[in-house]
Amino acid sequence: MSTLTYPVPFHTPDLVWDSSIAIYLFLLGISSGAVQLAIAYRRSHKLEKPSENWIVRSAAVLGTIPTLIGLTLLIFHLARPWTFWKLMFNYQFNSVMSMGVMLFQVYMLFMVIWIAVLFKAEIDNLIKKFVPKLRFVTNIIGACERIFSAAEVILFILAAVLGAYTGFLLSALISYPMLNNPVLPALFLASGTSSGIAATFLCILIAGKLKGDSHEVHYIHKFEVPIMVTELGLIVCFFVGLYFGGGQKVVALQNALSGFWGAVFWIGVMLIGIMIPLIANLFASDKWKYNAKFIILVSIFDLIGVLCLRYFILYAGQLTIAM
Amino acid sequence: MTACSRRNFVSGMGALILTTGTSVKLSAQGEKPNETAPKRYAMVHDETSCIGCTACMDACRETNQVPEGVSRLEILRSEPHGEFPNQEYEFFRQSCQHCTNAPCVAVCPTGASFIDPETGIVDVNKDLCVGCQYCIAVCPYRVRFIHPVHKTADKCNFCRDTNLAAGKQPACVEACPTKALTFGDMNDPNSAVARKVRENPVYRTKLTLGTEPNLYHIPFAKGEHR
Repeated sequence: MSTLTYPVPFHTPDLVWDSSIAIYLFLLGISSGAVQLAIAYRRSHKLEKPSENWIVRSAAVLGTIPTLIGLTLLIFHLARPWTFWKLMFNYQFNSVMSMGVMLFQVYMLFMVIWIAVLFKAEIDNLIKKFVPKLRFVTNIIGACERIFSAAEVILFILAAVLGAYTGFLLSALISYPMLNNPVLPALFLASGTSSGIAATFLCILIAGKLKGDSHEVHYIHKFEVPIMVTELGLIVCFFVGLYFGGGQKVVALQNALSGFWGAVFWIGVMLIGIMIPLIANLFASDKWKYNAKFIILVSIFDLIGVLCLRYFILYAGQLTIAM
Repeated sequence: MTACSRRNFVSGMGALILTTGTSVKLSAQGEKPNETAPKRYAMVHDETSCIGCTACMDACRETNQVPEGVSRLEILRSEPHGEFPNQEYEFFRQSCQHCTNAPCVAVCPTGASFIDPETGIVDVNKDLCVGCQYCIAVCPYRVRFIHPVHKTADKCNFCRDTNLAAGKQPACVEACPTKALTFGDMNDPNSAVARKVRENPVYRTKLTLGTEPNLYHIPFAKGEHR
């Protein structure tokens, strides 16, 4: 028998999915948001050399690396990690997770096409310099160029679906009244997009060393407030849905918003993740608003908030069981 | 596990003997065996008979080689009803409900969790299970676990590969000293389990979730039912 006195924040009795899943959900949100932002930017601007643009460069990194790290985390969260390949050979069309595996594969394929076409010249140079035998790759990229525009639109849609998928993965859990909530996919898509924007800011300002009042910063600033307000609205819908849902949904709401996870929500999600960035964006003077260090700070707050939201939803969601 | 392990062979032969044996008997009685009608195995736990001895739990552990630390079947004891010395306890069986609309089967990404079409039994194919624990998270009855040895999802399968395959009743049913457990085919109106459900007040848990569980309880009748 257990000697722990419940509730212990990270070891509640009905907890099945833990930290690695929360981080996985967070990383996928970044990937989804950064890719959507970069495609929107590229299509609305006539870029001479897209591969030299820092929003595009950021998306090439943020679209792939976090997804791969997330998937690695997921694989090692399996009780039998080395059987993960079975997921790719036994598709179940009624399982959200199985559809997610398929989504990842298609997403990664289109991600590779997108990067390969945009960075064709750089890839070509590398091949010539190091492995001339791979010259045929350039021809393949040349072939992909013809379908680039369509592939880019598909990638944008897949990125949005990926953002929502993380929510569907949890909302399929009928055992947890808080997670079995139709608002969750939309909420995760919105907060994931906002984290993708924040991560892109960090990339372009730190790695790209762009100025705070650069054209890119002006462009991204247009999306921050609308997305954050949407996120706030969806959080309200999420909780109001629980409140009016009655029964265990109300119990789930009370459990989630009290104790340790209640504090994570009010301080981490609402204060650090939404109120501070929102106030910073709405009321700061232009001098601050276009100051690189200020934007970096706000972006970090935003990312902390989204990570807290993922932890809060996952852990608080598993506190209460359906009756 | 190989495709034809000893266990598979023994259980397969057991199933063969079981089915052929039944049909011979039925045809001897002059009845036509309805071989196309699928079974829907169900269980009734009579809480008025259960004394909480947990013999069922021990029998299950032994028959299905369930390691310590996990269990396919638990008898939960309530708070005492009444004042000493007239105290009574209520016992509740917690085990797989073999839902007709099983959420664990719906979410499984590899098809490892499945419903046997011939018996309605919910079971896990160890070879396909990767241990993602989606089924454990989605089960509203909290009866699934990761088997410490196989590292795959595990739970009660009505002794599908052990006692049932050998033509016997599930181990818990056989072990019960007060006959509190009844097991059988709900699709057969003459079976003991169908009669038990028809002739007694019964309840099933969490019906609002639409899982259509096949574990029935005859309420203890003192205190509020679950």
